[in-house]
Amino acid sequence: MSISIARDLTDAVGVPRAVFVKWPLGHPLGEPCAPLQQRTMIFRALRLLLNAGQPGVIEDLGFRWRRERYSEPDWSQLKQE
Amino acid sequence: MRENKSWVEKLANRLYAIPSVAQFWASRAAQRSAQFVDDGAIPFARLTKPLSAARGALITTAGVHLSSQPPFDMTNSDGDPTYREIPVDVALEEITITHKYYDHRDADVDLNIVFPLAHFRDLVSQGVIGSLATRHFGFMGHIEGDLVTTLTRRTAPEVAAKLRADGVDFAFLTPA
Repeated sequence: MSISIARDLTDAVGVPRAVFVKWPLGHPLGEPCAPLQQRTMIFRALRLLLNAGQPGVIEDLGFRWRRERYSEPDWSQLKQE
Repeated sequence: MRENKSWVEKLANRLYAIPSVAQFWASRAAQRSAQFVDDGAIPFARLTKPLSAARGALITTAGVHLSSQPPFDMTNSDGDPTYREIPVDVALEEITITHKYYDHRDADVDLNIVFPLAHFRDLVSQGVIGSLATRHFGFMGHIEGDLVTTLTRRTAPEVAAKLRADGVDFAFLTPA
C-alpha cells in the first residue's frame, strides 16, 4: 500500500492501493515534528490495506495542508472487515 | 553538499513544493510513465492474517540510505535505479538522504515524514502490527530513460524477492 502525493502519476502506474493527499513533494506523511499527523496518515493507509476490495483504489483523504488538526488514531479499529 | 544543486534545481524544488504545481508535474509525468506498465493489470492481494500478526516492510523513493553506504548517483541526469537496505534496528541518526530532485530540508529535520520507521517500531511495540522485516529499502525516485528498465527489470524484482524471502506480508511505500 502506498501514500500518493502525485495522483495522476499513481493512477498511471497502477498501484494496488493508495491514499492521496495534495501536499508538497517531500511530505508524504505531512509536516516535520507533527507525529499525530504522521500517525494519522499511517492509520488511514493501513485501514485501506485491510479494507480495499479491488486493485487500483486511490482514496483521497482530503486533508488540507497546514489547515487540519489531528488526534491519535484509534488503532483498535484496524480490524479486517 | 554532495548533491551540488544548481540554481535551476533549487528553483524547481521550491516550485514543486507548491501542491498545485506538483499535481501539474504529476499529470505530465503520468503520460510518460503509463508506457512502463505492461498490460494495465494491477497486482493485488488481500492480507491473509490479522494486522497484529502480519510483518511489514517500508519502501521509500525519498533517497534514504545509511551514512555508511554509497550515496545515490547525483551526477547522472537520468537518476539512479539502485537501492539501499536499511536494517530495522538501525540508529535513526545513521540515516541520511541523497536526492536533489525534491526539497528534503523538512525530512532532514524529521525523517518520519518520508520514512516512518520510528512510528512503525512503536506500532509493533503496541501490538498493532505483528512485526517488521529485518531490512527495509531506500530508492531514489528520479529515474528516467533507459534506467527505468533497469529499475523495472532488475532492481525492483530483486527487492520483491527479498521481501518474499523475509516473509513480508505487506509493504508501506512512501514517495518523495
